[in-house]
Amino acid sequence: MNREDKVKINKLPTGVPGLDEIMGGGLPEYSFNIIAGSPGCGKTTLAHQFIFANATPEKPALYFTVLGEPALKMLRYQQQYTFFDEGKLPGSIRFVNLSEVILEQDLDAVLKEIIRQVEEINPGVVVVDSFRTVVRKAAGAASEMELQGFVQRLALHLTSWQATTFLIGEYAEAEMRDNPVFTVADGLFWLYQTAERNSIVRKFQIMKLRGQSSVPGLHTFRITDAGLQAFSRTLGLTRRRNTEVSSRRLSIGIPELDKMLGGGIPEGDSVLVAGASGTGKSVLATQFLAEGIRQGEAGIAAVFEERPKEYAARAGSFGLDLVTPQTHEKLNILYLRPLDLSVDETMQEILDAVQKIGAKRLVIDSLAGFEMALAPGFRTDFRESLYRMIGALTGIGVTILSTVELEEAFTELPFSTYSISFLTDDIIRFRYVEIDGQLRKVMVVIKMRGGNHSKDIREYEITAEGIVLIGPRVRGYQGLITGIPTQIASSGSNKRPLRKPKARE
Amino acid sequence: MPYLLDPELRDFAERLFADEALALTASEANVPLAFRVFEDLRRPLTTLAGTAGFRSLLLRALTLAKRDEPSLDAWKVTSDGSLESAGPGQHHYDVDRGALLLAHIIGLLFTFIGETLTLRLIHDVWPDTSFSTSTAEGTGNHESRG
Repeated sequence: MNREDKVKINKLPTGVPGLDEIMGGGLPEYSFNIIAGSPGCGKTTLAHQFIFANATPEKPALYFTVLGEPALKMLRYQQQYTFFDEGKLPGSIRFVNLSEVILEQDLDAVLKEIIRQVEEINPGVVVVDSFRTVVRKAAGAASEMELQGFVQRLALHLTSWQATTFLIGEYAEAEMRDNPVFTVADGLFWLYQTAERNSIVRKFQIMKLRGQSSVPGLHTFRITDAGLQAFSRTLGLTRRRNTEVSSRRLSIGIPELDKMLGGGIPEGDSVLVAGASGTGKSVLATQFLAEGIRQGEAGIAAVFEERPKEYAARAGSFGLDLVTPQTHEKLNILYLRPLDLSVDETMQEILDAVQKIGAKRLVIDSLAGFEMALAPGFRTDFRESLYRMIGALTGIGVTILSTVELEEAFTELPFSTYSISFLTDDIIRFRYVEIDGQLRKVMVVIKMRGGNHSKDIREYEITAEGIVLIGPRVRGYQGLITGIPTQIASSGSNKRPLRKPKARE
Repeated sequence: MPYLLDPELRDFAERLFADEALALTASEANVPLAFRVFEDLRRPLTTLAGTAGFRSLLLRALTLAKRDEPSLDAWKVTSDGSLESAGPGQHHYDVDRGALLLAHIIGLLFTFIGETLTLRLIHDVWPDTSFSTSTAEGTGNHESRG
């Protein structure tokens, strides 16, 4: 059977931003699914988002409520979400209460009533909330075989009736084994909610989804006024074609540093600028952005330690205009500091901003601030998520400059405290050195994955024009990278002392 | 805060009763109008909220209505959510009392699920009746605790 002969499974929109991508394009039509999780984790809201996204007068949704949240209260609360369209009730979305049947009759009666309603209304979507209640009733009165038979007949009938079904239940993961409900289901979606120190961490996992490949693993989600929003671990970039490898070099905005980099930063690289506080990392980052804007390349600054106004004002003090480009959608300064973000959510915000203005340059200032902005429970995922985001963005040609603050050590030259050097193609290291009774600044290009680069250690200064490199490489000293160099005693050109700093002409 | 029934709700309920009276056929004339109206309402609301849900709503509405019309004490709510009267009824008198009770039920629904959703449910039962009102969303003056 060739590909054209195979049945095409339609994929229905879930109504949850980000979830279709995780599902592999949407939920398979006519599938029989379970939404499981603990109380309050968003199961009912997820089902509501699905029915509001799919129910029509021709193919309405039938929502059975069973001894759980009373229907009136459910409507009271669910209508607070922005996706709740009152116009769909009762024509396109119908609620049916099964409580009495469950309480007073047996499984056959429950099945009969569901079938009766389904045949009468001919729904495109059926939800049973909570199915756990039905199973509890069954467990008390019927054998496991009878329960399996009930679930089997329910699934069979609903699928034959061309309904996409959700059974909602408060299950623990341990209950999955040998449970006939889970065996019959085509899709099994698990929602988790845990308190991590001061934050709530919500995660979503597709345990099973027949007929199509979904994105494996745990994905974070958030519940807002708009309902659930999911953040795929792949950040939605897995299916995007990488741009062709570019040989273009981007100017960093400092000609002398461009030369040290071998002609600029290779387009699509990830550059790490590491150094102690006050060494000019953020200044370099703004120069990088401003140079991009000057060349017509839009940029994003994700800042975590300053507010956008302050960030732009500080750039202004170096003669860099970061205000005007924001009004022309050439620059977006994102301030991400709510302290309870999930890493994927943060990255999604950055990605959305990059895509919105077609940014070619991205500054993350700084990685330490980024990590601090995350809910504590997400910090363990930080490096892995950063790896994914950088890989995804550089893959589509965005050049990323990240700053990282290091404690100045005077016996070694660490590149990064985060052990994230593997994320970067290029590393520029700033550091303080003590020379002639002055605390001066030097920089060195540690690594350029794209090719050769200058090995020089160059002194620089932060002037009214930003970072300015001073003179040729520092000669006449050894141990510069320790921060406490000693003057070389031998005669000759190497003995030349450091020049006094002066501004670029 | 004292309990107040929105006069517009009362007018609306009376119009529903009037429309229902016009729709009466000869064979239905022996069923008290008020009970017919509540039977029409009971079916969709029981489907939505269950028998227990509808019954509790009706009991609450009856309790509130009795404050304005103590003679409603003769009306009972059965276990399936239907209304029954302990004493002999008079048509006009029952219509007045029924409209009062219906207004309270609608008021409670306004409180719980909002005006828009409530009116959509009512429209499903009585498609030809409209509730033209300037009442704001919700029931600012329909205090559920008297």
